[in-house]
Amino acid sequence: MAILEEPIKEVKVLRNYINGEWVKSQGELKDVVNPSTGKTIAEVPISTKDELGKAIEAAKEAYPYWRRTTPLARVRCLFRLKELMEENFEELSRIQTMEHGKTIDESRGETRRGIENVEVATGIPSLMMGNNLEDIATGIDEYLIRQPIGVFGLICPFNFPFMVPLWFAPYAVATGNCIVMKPSSEVPLTQSKVAELTEEAGIPPGVWNVVNGGRTVVSGLLDNPDIKGICFVGSTPTGKNVVYKRCGETGKKVIAGCGAKNCLVIMPDAVLDKTIAGLMTSIYGNAGQRCLAGTNIIIVGEDEAFYKKFRNAFIEKASKIKVGYGLDESVQMGPVRDKEKKERIVSYIEKGIKEGAKLTLDGRKVNIVGDYPDTCFLGPTLFEEVNPDMTIAQEEIFGPVATFMRAKTLDKAIDIIHNIPFGNSAGIFTQSGKWAREFQYKTECGNIGINVGVAAPMAFFPFSGMKDSFFGNLHPQGQEVIRFFTESKVVIQRWL
Amino acid sequence: MKLNTTSAVISFAKELEENSTKFYENLIQKYPQNKEIFLSFIKENKKNIVLVQRVYYEGITDAIEGCFSFEGLDTDNYIFKTEISTEVNYSDALENAIKIEEKIQKYYLDSAEASKSLMADIPRAFERIAKRRDKHKIQMKSFYDKLY
Repeated sequence: MAILEEPIKEVKVLRNYINGEWVKSQGELKDVVNPSTGKTIAEVPISTKDELGKAIEAAKEAYPYWRRTTPLARVRCLFRLKELMEENFEELSRIQTMEHGKTIDESRGETRRGIENVEVATGIPSLMMGNNLEDIATGIDEYLIRQPIGVFGLICPFNFPFMVPLWFAPYAVATGNCIVMKPSSEVPLTQSKVAELTEEAGIPPGVWNVVNGGRTVVSGLLDNPDIKGICFVGSTPTGKNVVYKRCGETGKKVIAGCGAKNCLVIMPDAVLDKTIAGLMTSIYGNAGQRCLAGTNIIIVGEDEAFYKKFRNAFIEKASKIKVGYGLDESVQMGPVRDKEKKERIVSYIEKGIKEGAKLTLDGRKVNIVGDYPDTCFLGPTLFEEVNPDMTIAQEEIFGPVATFMRAKTLDKAIDIIHNIPFGNSAGIFTQSGKWAREFQYKTECGNIGINVGVAAPMAFFPFSGMKDSFFGNLHPQGQEVIRFFTESKVVIQRWL
Repeated sequence: MKLNTTSAVISFAKELEENSTKFYENLIQKYPQNKEIFLSFIKENKKNIVLVQRVYYEGITDAIEGCFSFEGLDTDNYIFKTEISTEVNYSDALENAIKIEEKIQKYYLDSAEASKSLMADIPRAFERIAKRRDKHKIQMKSFYDKLY
């Protein structure tokens, strides 16, 4: 099948978007490499602390003006941004495939999910409303106002270069705040394109700033007193020990979405073909680089015939997955983001073998559709006979690796889930409402799927998370993130 | 060629609609007697492309089984020739047109079936287009019957 046209034709040095200007950084440059082709597609600057300081200063200066801009005027900018995103839908999607590696279906899905957040944020004139009550005492009224706070820092991950920043950015600016965003330096092109669109949409200078970089920018955002809050999505060690901790020390609000190890429970009455299709997306979609990816598959019951049937159907489907460049429409799974990530995943596969799990599908041997270097490619991997205490069942691998475990009862399966430190997502496949309710009621995880492989909340619901998967109080998206970006002010009023 | 991703299925639907347009353009050129009807079919083909692309682009999310919903669809079962050779008379051309409509209709029905439980809007759109194709077929048959 023909490869869709690549939107990036030449290697450009990316600039920062500060105060409505495209500013050249003095920082050193790092290659952005297409993980499928191995070709450099851009150079991204690792910006300096001073450059970040200028962006924060610009955001701080823009804030009083933007705060006074009426909510309707603010969301008109977002309506225009949404339209521009629709017009540029295909280009945005193909850029994601080029810089991240995901398939074109996955990139388009991500683009849609991101735009949905802009759409929800356009409802701010209603969503940001406070409330009031007359006569809380004789002749005294009380009301609550939601006010913006100031400048927020966004620290974004590599796995969803378009969508995750939009869990926050449109709500932040719609509520009257300003932002300084640091995209992942591995996938900075998408947000560079989005910043172009914000300029075209008429979002005023200083309101939406993008500073490319690495640790210096992260530290700068965490330490700067003018940053009132941080939105972070990334690994648990960084989220817990760096971001959450530093925000506590510096008195910043924080949302820290972190790692995961998601379990999918297969009950003996599961509808097999639909379950398998759901599992393929969950485990191997986005090459397993999703914080909602299923990875531990727990098959409940002692019915050997069911296990064999399920296992064979799974292996048949997984072993046929076409791996290759995501701009080839026939490809079902792309590469992982880079060589280091592949090596990390391979080390987990080796660990699994050492700990005694049975490697049924070995993704280290991969057939790639087309003539591409195998640097970042892995095939679907499956371990059977996995013990819940093994490293591959406990730690986040962030790659296309599934483990099969057995549990005698649903309660035992839930125990396995609870013995894992993470609590991002869990799913059950069953036709029984009773089992589904039990699962939903008991399982300590933020996002629950019932016959759904990837329980990704829509933009008007919070993207939840518990235990080591989330640090903070309010979650991304919808009403919760609007509360995060606003302060509640209560006024008690009496006229004498 | 096997189709296995939603993107590939949508692209192939577009290809079928465009080829159907080419076929009717060739038919009109050779046999202009039912030109108005065939032009309306061409207009409908364009609408079908818009419909299919809209439901795809508006309905796809990163969470649906976009890369794993379609199996068993093979383009060889649905492709057809758009040219009408000089020896073909009107009745044979109509017979061919009926077969083409059947093939396209089958493609939409098979695709709808494959994705039914996973994505609501896409199979619904496919079924809608399959119905339109059925109407074309009935129209063609009536032209064909009138010849005898």
